[in-house]
Amino acid sequence: MTAARATLVAVAAAAAFAACRQPAPPGTLIVAQGNDPGSFNPAITTSGNVHPVTDQIFNGLVGLDEQMNSIPELAESWTVGDEGRTYTFRLRRDVVWHDGQPFTSADVKFTFDEALLKYHSRTRAALQAVLERIETPDAHTAVFYFRQPYGPLLQRLDVVEASIIPKHLFEGRDVLSAPANLSPIGTGPFRFVKYEKGLFVELARNPRYFRAGIPKVDRLVFRVLPSALTAVMALERGEVDYVPSVPGADLSRLQTMPAITVARSAGGSGGSFCQDVLIPNVTRPPFASRDVRRAFYMALDRRFIVDRVYFGQGTPSTGPISRKLAWAYSSDVATYPHDLPAAERLLDAAGFGRKQNRVRFAVTFTHPTGQARLGQVMREQLKQIGVDLTLESLDFNASVEKTFVKKAFDLGYASFCNGSDPEIGVRRVYVSSNIGPVPFSNGAGYRNHEVDGLFDRAAALLDRPARAQIYATLQRLLTEDVPYFWIIDSDGARAFRSTFTGFRLWSGAFAETVERAGRP
Amino acid sequence: MTVRRGFAVFLLRRLLQTIPLVVGIVTLTFLLIHAEPGDPVYLMAGDGGDESYYRTMRARYGLDRPIAEQYVHYIRSVSTGDFGFSYAYQQPVFAIIRDRLPATLLLSGSAFVLASIVGVLLGIAGAAAPDSWPDVAIRVITSILYSAPVFWIGQLLLLAFAVALPIFPVGGMRSLRESTTAAGAGDLLWHLVLPAVSLTLSFLALTARVTRATVSAERRREYMRAARARGRSPAAALIRHAVPNALLPVITVTGYHMGMLVTGAGLTETVFGWPGLGQLLLDASNGRDYPLIIAILLTTSFVVVGANVVTDVLYSALDPRVEW
Repeated sequence: MTAARATLVAVAAAAAFAACRQPAPPGTLIVAQGNDPGSFNPAITTSGNVHPVTDQIFNGLVGLDEQMNSIPELAESWTVGDEGRTYTFRLRRDVVWHDGQPFTSADVKFTFDEALLKYHSRTRAALQAVLERIETPDAHTAVFYFRQPYGPLLQRLDVVEASIIPKHLFEGRDVLSAPANLSPIGTGPFRFVKYEKGLFVELARNPRYFRAGIPKVDRLVFRVLPSALTAVMALERGEVDYVPSVPGADLSRLQTMPAITVARSAGGSGGSFCQDVLIPNVTRPPFASRDVRRAFYMALDRRFIVDRVYFGQGTPSTGPISRKLAWAYSSDVATYPHDLPAAERLLDAAGFGRKQNRVRFAVTFTHPTGQARLGQVMREQLKQIGVDLTLESLDFNASVEKTFVKKAFDLGYASFCNGSDPEIGVRRVYVSSNIGPVPFSNGAGYRNHEVDGLFDRAAALLDRPARAQIYATLQRLLTEDVPYFWIIDSDGARAFRSTFTGFRLWSGAFAETVERAGRP
Repeated sequence: MTVRRGFAVFLLRRLLQTIPLVVGIVTLTFLLIHAEPGDPVYLMAGDGGDESYYRTMRARYGLDRPIAEQYVHYIRSVSTGDFGFSYAYQQPVFAIIRDRLPATLLLSGSAFVLASIVGVLLGIAGAAAPDSWPDVAIRVITSILYSAPVFWIGQLLLLAFAVALPIFPVGGMRSLRESTTAAGAGDLLWHLVLPAVSLTLSFLALTARVTRATVSAERRREYMRAARARGRSPAAALIRHAVPNALLPVITVTGYHMGMLVTGAGLTETVFGWPGLGQLLLDASNGRDYPLIIAILLTTSFVVVGANVVTDVLYSALDPRVEW
């Protein structure tokens, strides 16, 4: 047989094979995953490649409901004492690891001491300085002792911020390279089955899950599809069932398809209540001037940007806290509606009049390649008030370094996620103690002692309404100063096959309650 | 006997040549990736971390040492066969590459075979009847294919043959719906068709155009007239005499472009979710996973060197004038 004939026969055989494939059996949920996770230890990383998978395998001490209220998870109850210096957690007694070992308070202490406080960048940065020690008086009690009153602890113990890992598999080993990082054992709704690099991760229902009756799908497969466009096509074809991030250009088309449901959520493993923000370098001209910042902000037509650049996946921001973080958000802030004449007047008064070439000043916008379209739209808008915007498009890693570490920029960009509490993701952007060569810190270089003091006061309070009041003051102060240009409160679109329902889109553990639609 | 010894000497020489090549690639890549802004710890940290976290992680991976010291340390490790540890995968890079190389070889190899067979046939068809409508059509189409970006072709193929006409799967290497266990060669082949076609098209166009040019040139040579004078039909003269001679430059061009296929596979792999080295290289570059980047580039260099050796061997087999 010639090579050509052999090829033809093989193709025909494959066609026949494909044609007689069976329809999908119920109970397998296939999720598009943008990047290869690599390894599976959620306590040593905040990586958005790892957590979407591991958040289905592990649990936190405390969960979060849709309104970001704390709900029992591995801890069935807790008490707060000594004015917020002591947190005592009573752990569930019916929890077993996927390998059959019982879950105890020793796992909690080990996870914090040896993994979270050393290698989980967010938890380490937040707790290392304030958490004095963890004690385990018995196998089902864990007590956290703080050096000072600490209000937001319960908001940062969910599976995203503080997954608990099994001590018996990591003790005496290097937690960064232990074998269990490649075959993870958790307590969560799904257990790990198989991983083929670059291709897929397969999980199966944990029949001994401590929450009765869930999960309701038998298999959960994460399929690595680096191209978002390909992931959407795979969804349309029914090769995947859930796409956690939909490119804006595909939204309107998907919304017309009955087989596909498009839903919005501001939360999830990748970060909750995120805002896309422009970062002016306030340590040097022209953005050292508050009036220039105000004028610049007024010259940006944020409604247009949200509609055309972000395809409506969010709402124009009003300040440093996303309106989606409802309990902490305040609308009583200084506002800067799109107003070109007012912007021009402010710039004239600030001494940045138009020169002979009609340009007032030039600034460079350093941004990751993904934000090129934002840059182009901004350049056109700013031209109208005589600001010449040069675009500097770098890959993500390089743009982070130039903006946050080297600080060699005029105007930068970041997506800052607020998290379930302003203490988690808002404070770091504005306090003067966080101006250093660190990514996603106070990149603008903004200093305001009143702001610093208010953040400290809010962190030490336990009462949420009292904290919300302080955050309202902070939002007013910060919008008057405009140390950043807040563009959009993100509300990302997720799409899934309409044959499924029950996604917990706000949570890291999004698949815990998924089931077949219409199944009794 | 002399031929065999000559061949052995040639192979040995080629192997020895790879030593400076390896040192050169490691050194150049090492210097270039460290000159580029960026830091592997950014990816590990995600959007959190304070200064002490960055200090700890840099110290752990030796990233806080002077570049010269890091380089010497790395060269020392490589000389003992240790290519380092991936930051993102938390595994030896050798194990990662071993898992991903077969997918790239399968994709690039299929694209190479397709391009060689179809490209040469199209080139001969064009040269056989210069300026006929099939020749013009082949020339126009190959011009377009050669200049079209591979990721764009891939997306068009997906839209046409996976979505509009749902014949082929959208991506990946196998169906995962029923089971993740490999379903067999049929399923694999079915997933291979679109990525292989997408990757091969510009290469196929190049092969077709080179073949057409060289066959046309050979057709005008004296020996062709002599063959016709001896009573060979035009087709027989073309196939028996012109084509074998014309294939020599074609082999040179395709062989030396094998590297283009292996590295060009990166974009195709990304579009189709094909789990090969190219996709891995893009991930590693974005994350500044230095040991993984260097090891992937070394691996692809070896593949290219191997392809060149095969090209040289084929060349001598086809042309008796070539000696080792």
